[in-house]
Amino acid sequence: MKKLIYIFLALLSTTAFAQNVVELPMESTKVVVKIAFKNGSIADPVGKEGLTNLTASVLTESGSDRYTKSEIDDLIYPMAARYWSFTDKEMTTFTFEVHKDFLDKFYDIFSSLILNPSFAENDFNRVKSNAEVYVKEVIKANSDEELSKMALEEKLFAGTGYAHMKNGTIKGLANISREDVVNHYKSFFTKNNVMIGVAGDYPESFVAKLKADINKLPDTQPNIPKLGEVAMPDGIQVELVPKPNNLGAAIYTGYPISINRASDDWPAMLVVNSYLGEHRKSYSKLYQLIREKRSMNYGDYTYIEWYESGGRYQLPTTGFPRSQNYMAIWIRPVQTAISLKSQYPELGDLKVGHAHFALRMALHEIDRVKKEGLTKEEFDLTRQFLRSYMKLYIQTPERQLGFLMDSKFYGMDDYIAEMDKKLEALTLEQVNAAAAKYLQTDNMWITIITDKEEAGPLKESLLTNKKSPMTYSNIIKESLPAEVFELDKKVEVYPMNVKNVIIEEPSELFIE
Amino acid sequence: MKNYLAAIAATLLLVTACSPDKPENKEPEGIFPYPIQQTKLDNGLNVVTVPYNSPGLASFFIVVRAGSRNEIEEGKTGFAHFFEHVMFRGTEKFSKEQYSEALKAIGAAANANTWWDRTLYHMTGNANMLDKMFELESDRFMNLKYSEEDFKVEAGAVKGEYTKNNASPYSKLEEITYKTAFTEHTYSHTTMGFWEDIVDMPNQYEYSLEFFNRFYRPEYATVLVVGDVKQEEVNALAKKYFGEWQRGTYTQQIPVEPEQQETRLAHVKAENFPPVLTLNYKDPAFSVENTDMAVLDIIGTMAFSQKSDIYKKLVVDERKVRQLGAGGMNMVDPGLWSVNAILVNKEDMAYVKNEIDQVLNNLKTEPVDSVILKETKSNIKYSYAMGIDSPSSIANSLSEFIWLTGNPADVNKAYANYDKVTQEDIMRVAKKYFVDNHLTIATISSDDENQVKEELNIKL
Repeated sequence: MKKLIYIFLALLSTTAFAQNVVELPMESTKVVVKIAFKNGSIADPVGKEGLTNLTASVLTESGSDRYTKSEIDDLIYPMAARYWSFTDKEMTTFTFEVHKDFLDKFYDIFSSLILNPSFAENDFNRVKSNAEVYVKEVIKANSDEELSKMALEEKLFAGTGYAHMKNGTIKGLANISREDVVNHYKSFFTKNNVMIGVAGDYPESFVAKLKADINKLPDTQPNIPKLGEVAMPDGIQVELVPKPNNLGAAIYTGYPISINRASDDWPAMLVVNSYLGEHRKSYSKLYQLIREKRSMNYGDYTYIEWYESGGRYQLPTTGFPRSQNYMAIWIRPVQTAISLKSQYPELGDLKVGHAHFALRMALHEIDRVKKEGLTKEEFDLTRQFLRSYMKLYIQTPERQLGFLMDSKFYGMDDYIAEMDKKLEALTLEQVNAAAAKYLQTDNMWITIITDKEEAGPLKESLLTNKKSPMTYSNIIKESLPAEVFELDKKVEVYPMNVKNVIIEEPSELFIE
Repeated sequence: MKNYLAAIAATLLLVTACSPDKPENKEPEGIFPYPIQQTKLDNGLNVVTVPYNSPGLASFFIVVRAGSRNEIEEGKTGFAHFFEHVMFRGTEKFSKEQYSEALKAIGAAANANTWWDRTLYHMTGNANMLDKMFELESDRFMNLKYSEEDFKVEAGAVKGEYTKNNASPYSKLEEITYKTAFTEHTYSHTTMGFWEDIVDMPNQYEYSLEFFNRFYRPEYATVLVVGDVKQEEVNALAKKYFGEWQRGTYTQQIPVEPEQQETRLAHVKAENFPPVLTLNYKDPAFSVENTDMAVLDIIGTMAFSQKSDIYKKLVVDERKVRQLGAGGMNMVDPGLWSVNAILVNKEDMAYVKNEIDQVLNNLKTEPVDSVILKETKSNIKYSYAMGIDSPSSIANSLSEFIWLTGNPADVNKAYANYDKVTQEDIMRVAKKYFVDNHLTIATISSDDENQVKEELNIKL
């Protein structure tokens, strides 16, 4: 009975294409509203990188024509209502969550913010300063893993609208004035590129009001620049970012792929990717080879699309639909030479830690899967896992709504439901054909945040395809089975098509 | 209009469909809106069921009331966390490879994490797989078996975890703050543990067997299932799979932290990073009988929220502070209650400290506005109500009270305590806890420690 009702409720999710609206009425204590604009950091003007994200951030951190920021803080305090913005490459989403007891009261504030934001000078200066310190300092110091991802995208998408971080560049942010924010809002947050989403326990009259209000947004036709072609790199292009006394080497790789959620080959690649490196899962191949069998790091995963805040979330969030994806490998920090030398006297002569070997291990395995594919049993198990696991993406009203709205970006009705059907119909042949077609190890970008002393020797090791034997401490070495050493022997000489290695200081990143 | 009617119809159907699930006399009393059904097995294992309308979905949690707080032996910091990793290394029935495959077949979001006071194992997935979840989990909780070789290899993964976290100045600040504020109690080390102990982990195989023997026992554990389930089903599975689990005998004395007698300073030097000032006062152990922690929660929410005068002054108007907040974690033993400020310029550190001091001192002598107090209670209540909208978020919320007091139903008492807080309570609690001799000041800046000391003009 309950399942029938579930299906019934899912059917209620409707879309009126005249005005893009996703409605998801359900039993809940709260109401979630998402207002998504198809713009994103790709809409940032050249020389003002970061403008779209800053515009959205200032909106949520400032007042409206009727309330100052402080007045809003006072009003929503007893409701514990919350709202935030999220910008990615091609979309900006404002999310508002409120308990159903306060829907009308809160809507009054919310609608004035969306329709008539004040972008007060003082708030603008404050938010801009926070964005600047993030790009200049925080991203470079707080997490080597996030840094490696942002640095990689800068290279992989160079020359296109995807290249700069959504937070902006140092010069771009410096160039942005309050007037830029006001004008950008008028031009790129309009009734012509907006989608509305509502989930939770709300009356129909609320949706009618919301639709009518959103229709009051400017009638401008936003001029979103085209992405441009993302070129496949020539060979393996490596960027090393050295930091003093770094215990770990954080590694991230990527090469462009031509598919997205709506592509025919997507379900097959979901299986390939999950088998190779499902996010934060211990049963995928790279994790088992690098972490579980060899104890080299905390985890190893692959991706066929961007995974927002992967260090924080175990299940995917929403709001980052992209028309251009890349195949990525995320190797979490492995030990650098200084770290290993400080622990084990037997490794005293080491110049390069585990980074080169870990990369070879990952590429060797991807090469194997490209050539051999999955077995029937591996395919069945991975498909079974995904068909159950993907349903967990939409446990809360907010996630359910977000996934439905992202579906529309790709021209789909319901990504999660459609994948379940497509996975059910999938064959092993399709999966292995996709693996052969989209996996490759010859051309890619690699970014490694590493120790200052290691950058030079690692550069040489990569450029000359130097043998990189795995250096275990004595205590680990005596615990490993023979099969580990047998594979290591092959992997340590696995040829990598490295064409170029550059060393860039953190201070040289995200400048313009 | 069509949707509206359909929504009403669906809601009515849902109510009808759910009502038989609710056992009589188990209606919730208090903030938690669902029935909390508890059964204690003969071996002492507490089994908690919370039926919740999530068609086809259930969360299965095991809370072990042992974490880094229980690491009382020298050289063993980080062991509870390390042991959480070892728990994935297989049993006689399921080798680690078979365990991985079985877990993958369930298709659940499954993982574990360790905290000061507890270790938490969680799975959220298809409610029809509940039997398999019980089978897998009971097997490793009762029959964990791993080789010394596997044990040694797992230690490297913990090192990898430390390495990824250690890059952040915030992680370094947390580590040094607790190390400075606590001299005897085990809260002096974070859950991750000290680096030298992590490096030594591969040599601790014998100790790991002892650790399992001590804490992975029914009297330390609670099984919690939330979602599309019935109590009878959960209890039957618990008896079937955990009924034979033998009680242990281990008890321990956690060292008591002596009263702090002086202000202490902890500092992390970081170039090219926003300066940070935190004031950390000793706070009380969590208790539903003693409302001091509830009062401190109210102070943290009220006095430094975006609504507060200090926030408006330092963050919005003067723009000297980028972020400001305050609060303490609910802990089994006395912990720290902190005010945290991320600054724009390190030169403002003394000024910002002075402003925070003024707020804390005013709380001691001037009654807070009664309307703001009422609104703060409302804020806390609605924050909670909005946060429990899936089986896993509900299970997470209840698990906190399981590890704190052993009783998930204490969530209702804990939230009822907020309602009781008066203006007088706030003055009393502020006087009791915001004391210089119980303060650890922790900072991040590009300066050496001595310069910070001078700048803040603090006597240490």
